[in-house]
Amino acid sequence: MTDWHVRDDLRERYLAGTLPAAAAMSVEAHLERCAACRAAVPYEPEWLEASWRRLESRLAGPRPSLAERVLRHGGMPEHLARLVAVTPTLSRAWLVAVVAALAVAVLVARQGPELLPVFLIVAPVLPLSGIALAYGPRVDPAHELMAATPLAGPRLLLTRAVAVLAVATALAALAAPLLPAPPGLSAAWLLPSLAAAAGCLALSNRLPVPIAALAVGGSWLAIVGAGGLAGSWPVVFGLPAQLGYAATALLLTLHVLRIRKASTA
Amino acid sequence: MIEITGLTKTYGGKRALDRLDLTLGTGVTGLLGPNGAGKTTLLRCLATTLAPDAGSVTAFGLDPASPAQRTALRRRLGYLPQDPGFYPHFTAFDLVDYVAILKELTDRGQRHAEVRRVLAEVELTGQARTKVRRLSGGMRQRLALAQALLGEPELLILDEPTVGLDPEQRMAFRALVSRLGESRTVVLSTHQTEDVAALCERVVVLRAGRVAFDGTPGRLAGIADGQVWLSDEAPATSRRFWRTADGRYRTLGERPPGAEPVPPGVEDGYLLLLGEGGAEGVAA
Repeated sequence: MTDWHVRDDLRERYLAGTLPAAAAMSVEAHLERCAACRAAVPYEPEWLEASWRRLESRLAGPRPSLAERVLRHGGMPEHLARLVAVTPTLSRAWLVAVVAALAVAVLVARQGPELLPVFLIVAPVLPLSGIALAYGPRVDPAHELMAATPLAGPRLLLTRAVAVLAVATALAALAAPLLPAPPGLSAAWLLPSLAAAAGCLALSNRLPVPIAALAVGGSWLAIVGAGGLAGSWPVVFGLPAQLGYAATALLLTLHVLRIRKASTA
Repeated sequence: MIEITGLTKTYGGKRALDRLDLTLGTGVTGLLGPNGAGKTTLLRCLATTLAPDAGSVTAFGLDPASPAQRTALRRRLGYLPQDPGFYPHFTAFDLVDYVAILKELTDRGQRHAEVRRVLAEVELTGQARTKVRRLSGGMRQRLALAQALLGEPELLILDEPTVGLDPEQRMAFRALVSRLGESRTVVLSTHQTEDVAALCERVVVLRAGRVAFDGTPGRLAGIADGQVWLSDEAPATSRRFWRTADGRYRTLGERPPGAEPVPPGVEDGYLLLLGEGGAEGVAA
C-alpha cells in the first residue's frame, strides 16, 4: 500500500485526456487499487451502466459463426444474420450436395447441345430442396422451442427461404458460364427457379413445407417432361415461357408477401 | 384471462381433447393426468403451436386462429415444451439469445441484458458460455425454462418443467414459479403431485381429453378423506397399497384390518379420482 494519491490537478488532466500516455497509465494503475481516488473520479451512472452493458455483451455475448460474420460484413443487421446463419439447410452437407448436383448437370450438358436442358431442369429444383429442409419440426432440432415465438411461421420461413434461394442461385450462376451455350440460354433456369421458390412458399401456407416443395418440384418436372417428350425445348425455355415464369414469380411473390403481412398486421 | 371452449383435437381416430371447456386466470394452475390424457395437446393449443380440430382458445381477447392475433398472442406468452430441442453446438447464451431474436428483441444491448437476466433467474450465469451438448439434463431443462421467461410473458406455459431437476433445483423452480404466478397466468403440466401441492392454487385433472377435476389441491386431496390407511401388515384384499420407507403399508380405499387412518395428500386424491373409472367429473 502507499500513502500517495492522485493530486487534483493530475486527475483533472487525466479526465481531460491531456496527460502523457505513461502518466495516464500510472494514474489508471493507481485507480484500480485505490477506492478513495476512484470515488473522486466523477462519472455519469447512465454512461457507466451503458458501458458495462456493452462490455458484457462483448465478453459474454455469442461468438458469431463464419457465415454470420460474412453476412454481417456484407451489411446485414446482426439479428437477421443470426437468423439466416442458423437455417438448417445452409449446412455443409446441403452445400456440398448442391455443388455436386450442379457439377454433374454441367458435365452432362457439356456432352452435347441436346443435353443442355439437363442443367436448366436441375437448377430450379435445387433451391426447392433447400427450402423444403429450411423450416419445420422434422428438420430443425429446436423447432418446438421456437414455434411459439412471434417470428415463427411465414416470417421465419421467408427469411430462411430467401437465404437458401440466394445461395442456390449464386452457385447456379457460377456454374452457368461453364455451359456450352450463349449467356441468354445459360440463364434460362433463373426465372423458373424464382417462380418455383415463390410457388413453394405460397403453398406452404396450406401444406407442410416439404410437401409443398415436392408438389412444385413435381409440377416443374411434369412441365419440362411434357416439353421434352414433345421435342420442343424452346416452348419450355423460350421467351414467351420466360415471360410466363416472370409473371408467375411476381404474382406468387406478392401473394407470399401478403401472407407475411397478414401474420403481423 | 384465457377462455377454452369446446376444444377438440383428434390424432388418427383417438381424441386427445374432447370438447374441453376451461377458464384460466392469474395464478399457477397445475395440470395432472395420466399419459395420453391430453395435457400436452392442451398446452400446445394454448401455446399456438397446434391448431385444434374444433373449439377455440382465446387469451387476452386474442384468437390464435387469426394469423395476426396469433402473432400478437405469441408476443405475450412464454412456452417450455415437453421435448425442447436444442442446437448442441450453441452455447447456453447463444441459444437464449437466438430465441430472444425470434421474440423480436432486435436491439443487441437490450437483448443481451435480457438474456443475462433470464439466465440468472435459472442460475445458469456460470454456464452462459458452455456448449449446450456439455450441459447436464437438469441444466438443459433450466435453459429451456430461461428462454420461456424472455420478455416477462403474461402467460407462461410449462410442460413438465421439473423433469430432470434435482431437489434443490426443484425448490428454486417452485420459488420462481410461485413468484411469477403472483402477477401472471402460469399453466404447468406435471406428473409430480408434490409440485402441484407445493405451488399451485388450482389443479385441473384431465382424463381422456376431458376435465375430471377442477379445484384446489386441498379439494383434490379431500377426495381421499377417510380412505387412506397405514397398517403393519400388507392388506389382503386391496390392490392399491405400497410399502413406505418405515416398512409400513399405505392403503387407499377400504380400511384393512388393524389399519389406522392418516391424512390424505394430493397424490391420494388423484389416484382415487383416476381409480374411479365411472366418475364423469368432479368440480369444486
